[in-house]
Parts: sequence; structure tokens; C-alpha cells
Amino acid sequence: MSAIDLYATTLLVYFGVDVLAAWGLNLQYGLYGMYNFAFILFQSVGAYTAAVLALGRPTHQFGGQQYFFGASLPFPLPIIAAGLIAGVFGLAIALILRQGMRSDYEAIITFVIAVMALVTVSAVIPLFNGEAGLALVPQPLARTLQVPTAAYAWIYVAFVAIVCLISYVIIRRLTASPLGRAVRAVRENANGAAALGVNATWCRIVVSVLGAAIAGVSGALLVEFIGTWSPGSWSYAETLVIFSAIIVGGVGNNIGVLIGVFVTQIVFAEGSRFLPTSLPPNLVGSLQWIIIGVMTLAFLWFRPQGIVPEKRYCVPAGPADHRPMPAEKTGPAAVTGSPLIPGDGSHD
Amino acid sequence: MLIVPAVGFGLATAAYIALAAVGFTLQAGVSNIFNFAYGDIMITAAFMAYAVNTIGGGLWELFIVGAVTGAVVSLALNRLIFRRFVRHGVNRFGMLIVTLWTGLIIQNVLLAVFGPRFFSLQVSSGRLFTFFGQHGILLTGVQLISIGIAVAAVLIVAIGLRYTRVGMAMRALATNPNLAQSSGVPARKILDYTWIVSGIFCGLGGVVLALATGAFAQTTGEEFLVIIFAATVLGGVGRPVGAAVASLVLGIVMEVSALFIPPVLKELAAFALLLVVLIIRPGGLFSLAKEGEEIAVV
Repeated sequence: MSAIDLYATTLLVYFGVDVLAAWGLNLQYGLYGMYNFAFILFQSVGAYTAAVLALGRPTHQFGGQQYFFGASLPFPLPIIAAGLIAGVFGLAIALILRQGMRSDYEAIITFVIAVMALVTVSAVIPLFNGEAGLALVPQPLARTLQVPTAAYAWIYVAFVAIVCLISYVIIRRLTASPLGRAVRAVRENANGAAALGVNATWCRIVVSVLGAAIAGVSGALLVEFIGTWSPGSWSYAETLVIFSAIIVGGVGNNIGVLIGVFVTQIVFAEGSRFLPTSLPPNLVGSLQWIIIGVMTLAFLWFRPQGIVPEKRYCVPAGPADHRPMPAEKTGPAAVTGSPLIPGDGSHD
Repeated sequence: MLIVPAVGFGLATAAYIALAAVGFTLQAGVSNIFNFAYGDIMITAAFMAYAVNTIGGGLWELFIVGAVTGAVVSLALNRLIFRRFVRHGVNRFGMLIVTLWTGLIIQNVLLAVFGPRFFSLQVSSGRLFTFFGQHGILLTGVQLISIGIAVAAVLIVAIGLRYTRVGMAMRALATNPNLAQSSGVPARKILDYTWIVSGIFCGLGGVVLALATGAFAQTTGEEFLVIIFAATVLGGVGRPVGAAVASLVLGIVMEVSALFIPPVLKELAAFALLLVVLIIRPGGLFSLAKEGEEIAVV
């Protein structure tokens, strides 16, 4: 496999995985207004599930990695299981958070959950091999396909692209459906939506489970390609980067989020090329984080609606009324102005 | 029995939790935003102390440098970043992103300047003091000084908040910012004072944390933030004395529980307690902080 192939396929798989995760978080944060700082946990649950279900029974010989359960299921099953188990975690988070909780408390609760999970997985080695993490996860269908590694990598990229496309269709179906409108209504005005009979808890469960399942699948796709997963892959900073991608791209807009992921990933993957080569390597790593941080703060200040703002959804007044809608306005950015502050037509 | 010495460790641990938590809860209560860069300001103070330590600074110089660094960084962050973003109309969740990223940027600047390794402050830990007999509590001189500073800090804040004009203005701002401002409280100045005082405790806490843990790195402060948060929430957001009592409980519970469970898991006990309280009563047990999404603009 040539260096170019390796570089391009790895970058593309990461891009697809990050886009999936960002779409999942965008469902929770952009569409509903869930402030979930444990989001990377879903991706991690998916990755560990897929890894454990593909690695086979743990060998307790010298040098074998320790992990819990272990099976070697055929190709699509580990990925599907990853989505399902992550979805269960999404359900748990949705039930823990209450409607009307202050946004920063919601973020702190999920943050603490993420930290606790990280500490537990790092410390309890029989769970997922502790700090060292799982390695040597087999690539799916590598034996049956019998193709050269470069061709296999490109097939995998195509597979990731197909999963992205399917997820996009599912998300579009949800956001365009009456349920999607109800979810946005809860975000804009929880009390008003409740008065119209919208069940906020149900809305939260739907976006949380679906977002978590998509993140779980993304983690499974990543671990089956790169073959390793460890606590270093899912610190809270990773969730923050996904939030940054959403804020830069456009809260609530899936195409915007895709662009936001592209921009943040360009900084991580290619940013080092534009820096002087004389810099020590650890400085380059730090500078990449600093650049993304400054970029996020700049977007919050200058363009909180992101590169591609969320579309204002207009619903015709009724079947008899087919007048053209007024010119499209951009929706309220989810970062400035509180969705819970009255003044947008609600009564106090 | 090992429990009595463990209580001694608990006191030493409680000292740096309390120093940090008192500053954090004061600032969170008065300005009504959570500063997630707090742990990183702490570690910045520790790194400045490290720099002074390498050119021969002793214990007291370290504390002074830490306090000054904490105050300056804290005030600068509020003036240059946080206050501006609040005035710009960024909401609560946006402020969380702002403070988290500010903290990460500080961490990475420190990483770029000092390099990726562990650091330690070279200070003689002084002579050993024993209390309650031979199998009683064992504390080093540095630990005793740390505990002393923490107790003094808590007393100063508690008395200052109650009896001085600035303290009363801080409480007024914490309770009702709009009413306080229209009654002539110079809100901006009082907020600046709050950030300075909180920064002093933050810096002192950072130096004491660095002395207590032995080895620290750029991420040490951020890892410590959840524990500060636990003390703040258990004590009630905006209540320094509550935070001090909670720190004492947390410090002793963590060190004593380390006798019975693996030491890596001792923090989990504190986090689990925090989680339960947060889910049942997010503002903490005896909170002064206001519910609702608005942040007062001053």
C-alpha cells in the first residue's frame, strides 16, 4: 500500500466517522438542545462493543489482552450491536437529564459521567484492558475479500460513505417529519410545545437514542479500520472538538456540520504543513489545539450561526392557504440567546 | 489502626481542595457563570511557582508568586474574554464552551512552553509533627502550613463577605444583580474584585496542589476540576463556608476510603456522590445560585 493510499484512506475514514459523530451530536444539541458532554462516550461504547465482538474469546495466556465477554461475530453484526448498545446508553442519558434543567448543569452532569466512565475503564483492566486499550481488532471481511490492502482500504472508505449516506437519509427523514418539528418546538419554547401536547421526554429520548446509535456505529467503523481503541481516544476534549465542528459549521444544519468537521479536521491533519518545519513536534500538537480553540471563540463572537446557518422551517398555514411564504430568514442560532428565555412569542 | 493517619492525609488533601473550592464557589456565585478554565489557572500558578523555584525561590516566594499569578490571570481572563462574551450576548452553554476552550488553550500554551513531562517543586517538607500519640496523625511542616493557609483563607472570605462593604456588595450581586446595580453597587468593580480574590485562592490552591501531589503536569488542574466542583456543589454554589466543610468531608472520605478500595477508585466515590446530588438538586444542597438561563450583564 503506497503512502498516498494509506494517508488518503485513513483521512477519509476519519472524516466519515467524525461526520457521523457530529451529525449524532447535532441531533441532540442542534435539533433538541441537549447539552451532552458525555457524547464521546457513545462513540467509545460502540468502539469497545465492536472490538470485543470481533476479537473472539480472550486468550488468558501470557501477553494476551484482557477484556470482558468476547466473541467473533461475522461482519455486520459487531457494527449493528455497537449501534444498539450505544443507543441503550443514549436512553440512559436521556432519562437522567430532566426537562428544564439549566444548560450548564446538564453539561456538568454529563461531563462527570464521562469522567467517571473514563476513570473506571482506565482502572479496571478486566473490562477493556485498562489504560493500554484494545488492539489487533481484525478488519471485517479481510479474509473473504482477498484483495490487496490498498484496494481493501478504498472499499472500506466506500463502505463508510454508504453508512454516512444512510444515516443522512434517516436524519433527514426525522428532521422533516412531524416529530422533527415537535423536537424543534421543544427547543424553541418548551412550555409552548408542552401546551400544544408535545411530549418533551419522548422527543428527548428519540434524539438521544438515535444520536447515540449513530455515534456508536461511527466508533465501530473506526475501530474496525484502525484496529485499536484506548482511553486516550475519548477524553472530554474530543467531545469539545465535535461541539466546535458544529458551532463552526452551523448549529442545526447537517450540511453545515459536515463543512465544520472538514474545517476542524483540516487543521488537525494539514495544519502542521503551514507551520515552520523547525518547530518541535509537541509544539505542533499544541498549536493545532490552540488554533481550533481560537477559531471556535472567533465563530462564537463573529458568526454564532456558523458557516451554513440552520434553515428557518416554514409550515404553510393550512390546505386552503397557498400564498408564498415570506423571504427565508435564518433561524436563531442555538449559541446566542437562550431558547428558554421568554420573548419569542411565549407568555412568561 | 490506619484510619487515624488516613484522617491526617485527609486533612492535607482537604486543604488544597478547600483553597481551590472557596475561590471557585465565590466567583461562580457572584458572576453566576462556571469558570471551567479554573483548574488551568491553578496549574498556571503552579508552573510560575516552578519557574521561580528553579531560580531558587523558597516556600513563601512560591506562595506569593502563585497568588499573584492566579489573581492576574483570573482578572485578565474575565476582562479580556469572559465579560466580553457575556456582554456580547453569548448564552450559558456558549459560556461553558468559551471557558472550556480557554482552559484548553492555556493548557496547550503551557505544554508548548514547558514541554510534555512531569514537574515537581523542590521544597524541603520541613520537620514531621505527630498528633495524638505514636500511631496518630502525622503531618509535615509544609502540610501544616498548607492547612493553615486554607483555614485562614476560609475565615477571611467568611468574615469579609459578612462584614465588609465589598463583601456585602458581592452578596448583593450574587442575590440580585439588577437590584444591586440600580441600588448603586458598582457591579463591574465588584466583579473585578471577585475575580481577583478568587484568583488569589486559585493560585494558592495550585501551589499547594503541586506541593501535595509531588509531580504535576499541564492537565493536572483540569483533572482536579471535578473534585473542586464536587466541593462546590455539595457545599452549595456561592457558599464559601459550605465549600470548605464539603472539602473537609471529601478529603477525609477520599483518603479513608483509599484504605478499603483501590486508590485509583477513591475519586469515583466522590464523583458518584456529586452525580447523585447534581441529578436530584443541580444547584447543590444549599445553593445561593439562581436558577434560570439569564446571565446578568454588567
